[in-house]
Amino acid sequence: MYEFRVQVGPAAFRIGSAWKRPVNELAELYREYPTPDIADYSVRLEATSLIRRFIRPSVAINGDYILPDAAPLPLAQALLAAEMGMNLQMALGWRRHLLLHASAVEKDGKALIMTGASGSGKSTLSAMLGCKGWRFMGDEFVLLDLLTGAVVPFPRLISLKNTSIGAMQATALDGRFGPLLRDTPKGEIRHLVPARDAIRAMTQPAQPALLLFPSFGFESAVREIAPSEIFIRLTQASTNYVALGEAGFKTLTRFINTVPARAIDYRKGEEAEALVNQLWDDLS
Amino acid sequence: MVLLIQPLDAMTAIYHRRSGITHIVSEPVPQILHRMGGETLTSDEIVERLRVDFDFEEIDARSLITERMDEMAALGLLVRQHV
Amino acid sequence: MDDEKAAHDSGLNNVATRRRALMLGAIGASAIVSVRPALAQSAASVLNCEIPVPGPHGTGMNIDAYGQLVPRDTPGSFPTSGVKFTGEQVKAAMQGRSLPGTSYDESQAYVNYIRRLQSGQSGFTCYASLQITR
Repeated sequence: MYEFRVQVGPAAFRIGSAWKRPVNELAELYREYPTPDIADYSVRLEATSLIRRFIRPSVAINGDYILPDAAPLPLAQALLAAEMGMNLQMALGWRRHLLLHASAVEKDGKALIMTGASGSGKSTLSAMLGCKGWRFMGDEFVLLDLLTGAVVPFPRLISLKNTSIGAMQATALDGRFGPLLRDTPKGEIRHLVPARDAIRAMTQPAQPALLLFPSFGFESAVREIAPSEIFIRLTQASTNYVALGEAGFKTLTRFINTVPARAIDYRKGEEAEALVNQLWDDLS
Repeated sequence: MVLLIQPLDAMTAIYHRRSGITHIVSEPVPQILHRMGGETLTSDEIVERLRVDFDFEEIDARSLITERMDEMAALGLLVRQHV
Repeated sequence: MDDEKAAHDSGLNNVATRRRALMLGAIGASAIVSVRPALAQSAASVLNCEIPVPGPHGTGMNIDAYGQLVPRDTPGSFPTSGVKFTGEQVKAAMQGRSLPGTSYDESQAYVNYIRRLQSGQSGFTCYASLQITR
């Protein structure tokens, strides 16, 4: 077994792998991240059978938490398997913060949080804003402190899909990209390493100041959302709201009472950026 | 306190400590809880308390409120006592 | 007069106690949606609720491709009749099937309308509970 360890925000991961190549890829992409001594979670990339270690090698994602019946991935996508494995450990096991499926960026000590279904653009928008003066805090999970309500950074590799890949390659000219992965269950995927300042600031929280629900593919618009709709959507965007019980309820109600929210529609990244800047300026 | 109650807008979020479940409710559920004030009441008594503050024209108000209370009891937000 | 009593009840301070109309709902229509774990299976009962397109506030208007209410003669918009869809039908439409009796484009427009429903509008509770039972 080959091993790789990485600290991302408050979580320490250990990846064990039956093959050397994915561990090398991970070590290269995460080279500026701290290495923890002890891991919170273990992810294991395993062969589905002895033959499958060598012939048409196939990676099963195993670890402290697993999803039964998940289909294995080809070895060429082992990097994706490792990232999915880490997501799974967080989604199923993390209890120290309220977890939201959302992205976040920070400016002047305040955090902008973006949440929505797959395809809404939250991941790409956070990557884009991270190149335009904002500090990237995470594209997959937003962690909310249960006592203070602060947003805690979780800046893993940014997962770009399909058309976002080209868009970000044009925007992040100094960006460090992982290999292009084709024919994955979600189409083409390419990972982008967050900017150095984002990695260095991974222990610095920020107070949430604005919540956005982006929708990609609609004419540029800003809409208000009722608090009850925000509440319901956020409970569904959280994988551990129910498990956290009272702490989850208090954290979420505090969040809704203190953070303004809007739905934004956009057709191009520049439109979204303009709407974000307009709403952010309106806050002060 | 058995319930944590957070009004949102036309709907209210309620956390039920004993079950750990969050419910999102619309009228007249929060108003029923408020008017009961922790006491044990019949549905007629609750209808009368609601009439003090609110107007409702429904002829079958008692059936509607009883149905809401049945729903609340099924979820543990109210406890039914048999006399 | 009930304001003092209201002040004693923690968390209910914002519930209106002045005289106004109270909506009692309808027989068979649930007033409670319970939050389920995001990875859990759906509850069948919720799918019987209904969403009218458009709700009463949109009577006599058309719906554009983005789900917004527009005047009847707006080019490219879709006529409406207040027809009611069940939660189950809307859920299927959100996953790719068209709403019964509609073309693909019409269905998309209607679904966008439903997605934009705000609290207090007819059908919002039903749509909200669909979100919970995904």
